[in-house]
Amino acid sequence: MEIQTRSADNVKILEFTGRFDTYTADTARQWLEQAMTDNPANVVVNLEKVDFVDSTALATLVHSLKRCRELNGDLRLCQLQQSVRMVFELTRLDRFFEIFAQEDEAIQAFAH
Amino acid sequence: MILPAIVASQRTHLDTLAKDWLDAGASSFSIWTDGVVLASWPEAPVDETACLIEAIQVNAVKIGELRITGLHAAAHCQRLQAQAGLIAQIARLERDLNSMGADLIDTQDQLLALYNLTQATRNYLDTEELLARLAFETARLVKAEAAFFLIHMKGRSPIIQHYPQPILNDEALQHYIELMKESQHEFLFSRGSSDQALGIRNMLMVPIKVRDAETAVMGMLNKFDGDFNSPDIKLAGAIAEFTGAQIENVIMHQMNTEQARLQTEMELAQRIQIHLLPQEPPGIAGLDLWAASWPASRVGGDFYDFIIGANQPFTFTVGDISGKGIPAALLMAMTRTVIRTKTKVMPMPSPQVVMGRSNQELYEDFTKLSMFATVFVGQYDSVNRQLLYANAGHSPVIYCPAGGEARLLRADGTPMGILPTSLSKDQWIDFQPGDVLVVATDGFSEARNAHDKEFGYDRLTLLVQSLAHHPARVIAENIYKTVSDFSNGMSQADDQTLVVLKGVGA
Repeated sequence: MEIQTRSADNVKILEFTGRFDTYTADTARQWLEQAMTDNPANVVVNLEKVDFVDSTALATLVHSLKRCRELNGDLRLCQLQQSVRMVFELTRLDRFFEIFAQEDEAIQAFAH
Repeated sequence: MILPAIVASQRTHLDTLAKDWLDAGASSFSIWTDGVVLASWPEAPVDETACLIEAIQVNAVKIGELRITGLHAAAHCQRLQAQAGLIAQIARLERDLNSMGADLIDTQDQLLALYNLTQATRNYLDTEELLARLAFETARLVKAEAAFFLIHMKGRSPIIQHYPQPILNDEALQHYIELMKESQHEFLFSRGSSDQALGIRNMLMVPIKVRDAETAVMGMLNKFDGDFNSPDIKLAGAIAEFTGAQIENVIMHQMNTEQARLQTEMELAQRIQIHLLPQEPPGIAGLDLWAASWPASRVGGDFYDFIIGANQPFTFTVGDISGKGIPAALLMAMTRTVIRTKTKVMPMPSPQVVMGRSNQELYEDFTKLSMFATVFVGQYDSVNRQLLYANAGHSPVIYCPAGGEARLLRADGTPMGILPTSLSKDQWIDFQPGDVLVVATDGFSEARNAHDKEFGYDRLTLLVQSLAHHPARVIAENIYKTVSDFSNGMSQADDQTLVVLKGVGA
């Protein structure tokens, strides 16, 4: 899995590419840890190029979101592919994560 | 001395040379070394006042001379010079031959010594024992008072073995090892530079090549006769080479043993996990019930359970812990137990309440371990023929009313361990004879074939519908078989667990 990072308006953006699963979750976790150093920790994870997530990947995102909230911030998801979106809907993790259609919407939501 | 040997071995040729000189008019021909005559023709006492003298030189070192009396001509001088040159050449060849013989004997001795060493140490499978034996054998072979071996593998504590006991303290040893590392080859320490305070006359240290070693070195101290010489260094080099290979073997063996132990423990864990699940479904009036779990190669986090309490409705659960391996297996056992306990201690435990209480109990542990569990809790009301359930993020759950279309029953709450308060509410469906409910884990829907295509929810829902007229057990086994055929040849990536309920006439 490839990970690109950028930042905008005190928000760290991580863009993952490829399969996000048991085998790549550790790398993702390390990058997420690095993105969560500020207080408040505001992170957007762009999943546009992720075609598969398994439960370890979901657990990694859940852990990071909990951590962000401890640091007075939030972790938001955007641009989910249909298959990935379905996983969030079926597990009802869509009730836990704020999910946005576009990356800039996710970033702007931090301003409010 | 080489010249006396040549005089003895080449006597006939020298006799011929001497005869030629005497025939040519010389009164004597003689061979000398260090002012002493080795041979003379004629054998009568030699006249010391030679007329012609020619030195025999090997590599610019004079080893003797030829002398003639009674002749003076320049031509004679040239002839004598040529003969001295020839004898020098013979001396050179003789010396080379001798040294080659000595090397051969040394090499043979070393080969034998090494053979003995390999025989003595090849059965050791413990690094410490191996090094202790090597230290003993090395001291014996190089005829030294003491020997030591130090191996420091990355990420482990160093192992040092001395024979018979340490002469150098650890600090001094470290100091010399640093010196050796700087020079990057053997470290020789001889009488001239002796360190009396440490009781060392001489020392030879040789690096040992071992993969992934921080430091690996062997040392020999206080050779019994004289200093360590070049055959000793060669022998030590060969021992070091053998030691390196042997240590790598031992480490490889240890790793294999450790691997085998872990494998056994994993298998044991998997067996325990399977035994935690109910072996036989209970007989419940109005229900045909079947459950099964096919674990993936590693222990996983799937579970199912049947809970029957006094004066309580029949309760069943299916769950899937996020992640894989031992952590998932441990949490699986814990989650199953918590749900079972919460159900049994409450007088009227509705699925929603069981879910809420269990989540409350497990939330902190799940958060601490960065995990969660999707859980389905169902209850069968045999009087009203209804199924009451609460679903915390679990899928696939497929309901197929008798003769109707199968459909997914979607979860309303997040998985257990996500939020401190459960969002899952009680929901119910009619459950008449012929109705089928399949609560499976995502190991079925996410199974993939060789083209990386997922079995998927749609296929699974249609499959349940097509099998719904069969008994529960046949439905379960056919689902497993169909998914297994689909992923033909691909290893099962995740546990596959399901509970099948079918309504039957009372």
